[in-house]
Amino acid sequence: MDDIYQEELMDIYKNPARRGSLDDANASTSQSNPMCGDDISVQLKIENGVVKDAKFHGSACMVSIVSSEILLDYLVGKKLEEVKGISKEKLLEMLNLNLTTSRIGCATLALGAVQKAVAAYEGK
Amino acid sequence: MNTEKIKKDFPILGRKIGLNDLVYLDNTATTQKPLQVIDAIKDFYMEHNANVHRGIHTLSEEASEMYDNARKTVTRFINAIYPEEIIFTRGTTESLNMAAFSWGVPNLKRGDKILLTNFEHHSNLIPWQIVAKNTGAELKFIKTGSEGTVDMSEFKSALTPDVKLVCVAHASNVLGTILDIKEISKMAHAVDALVCVDGAQAVPHMPVNVQSLGCDFYSFSGHKMLGPMGIGVLYVKKSVMGQMVPSQFGGGMIKEVSLTDASWADAPDKFEAGTPDAAGAVGLAAAIDYLSVIGMDKVREHEIELGKYTIEKLSAIGGIRIIGPLDPEKRTGLVSFYSEKVHAHDIASVLNSSGIAVRSGHHCAMPLHKELGLPATVRASYYIYNDFSDIDKLAEGIKKALKMLA
Repeated sequence: MDDIYQEELMDIYKNPARRGSLDDANASTSQSNPMCGDDISVQLKIENGVVKDAKFHGSACMVSIVSSEILLDYLVGKKLEEVKGISKEKLLEMLNLNLTTSRIGCATLALGAVQKAVAAYEGK
Repeated sequence: MNTEKIKKDFPILGRKIGLNDLVYLDNTATTQKPLQVIDAIKDFYMEHNANVHRGIHTLSEEASEMYDNARKTVTRFINAIYPEEIIFTRGTTESLNMAAFSWGVPNLKRGDKILLTNFEHHSNLIPWQIVAKNTGAELKFIKTGSEGTVDMSEFKSALTPDVKLVCVAHASNVLGTILDIKEISKMAHAVDALVCVDGAQAVPHMPVNVQSLGCDFYSFSGHKMLGPMGIGVLYVKKSVMGQMVPSQFGGGMIKEVSLTDASWADAPDKFEAGTPDAAGAVGLAAAIDYLSVIGMDKVREHEIELGKYTIEKLSAIGGIRIIGPLDPEKRTGLVSFYSEKVHAHDIASVLNSSGIAVRSGHHCAMPLHKELGLPATVRASYYIYNDFSDIDKLAEGIKKALKMLA
């Protein structure tokens, strides 16, 4: 498991560029992990069916912070259709971490929030 | 306590986690099992396995006798008066659900109050939420003070005449706080309220005498006290049992059945529908025998010593805070803590990389964590096989985690 605390990820964890909030978000929601009570809020700015910007905030462990950062970075510039198509497996592949079952819930917390936000946006 | 000798009885404590020796400090969640318990279960299945109380053949007679003896062993261990006061369940959760649905639903009504604390485990909270919804009774809560202790005068003033039931943990699974059940029972009975105790974190760690505590219901699990998973106990005082109705139905709990009606067997059978976990009961009895040889007063002394040492060691680490009472005499065998900078999961992950098993999360007490303003805490919990060196490794591991992540 030590490899999840590798240096490159530690840099992301200590200074996540996408942590914060957007003033002009038009899709936002939060998702909590029932296992630990962690809560991640995601804000998206969507224009013409494309994600223009994305931020997250909330109380979370390193795995959720790193996965939120990597996921949101990936989303920006993508069409909503592509965003909706991101599966848990795809995200875990992108993270490329050797996660135990109990940490997969942490890693996919932000994805749940993103998909809820997009569904709510499209439902408007 | 001769922890070196005790450790030898627990095969799992010899295993490695990666390259490290296992340091098992998650005993509040479940304890490890000694060979004596594993062998008792194996012996049941290899030599005596049969359904209990159903057949007249030799194996069924033997299995039934072993099951009955296990009930007597539990009776003696918690000093109940009659074996009939002991209902075997799947664990504390099922025991508390049974108290809720076999006593709570038929006996409570609109306007009645159920008094709890704000640190109850979800298993001693949610069943009562459902009872309240089904009956119109209301829940009210005692809050803990700043050190995680409960002021008895608060109980006294909360015990208004409309309180019909007090449901409390004997010891908190997060704060460690031990409640004075004897005093609570005395005060509750003075207003004719019954007392239902979640003893999951008390029975494994200290002598428990239900007659002296004076409570009406007392629940605990086998797997948190060296026994197997899947077996637990609901003690009900004989004078209260008559107010209960069965909440599970089927085989083994009936006297007579027609196509449209049925009558119930006597207690405790009428509360044990279906085939019971006889092997589990036998395993629990073996666990009780094991603990009885050591002596529960010795277990308690050992945990107070370890608690004192853990609190000293952890208090000396900058950057973490312990929750719950700092006096080891006031807590059961656990210490929960948090770091303002490093998430509980990350501390637990780094500890695991050194072979140290602890629990992180909300420990099935979300309302308490919300109140404390903490999403999650780390909980280290020790037992009869842990010693000072385990706590030293814990402290080193925490320092390593803070160094890496803070």
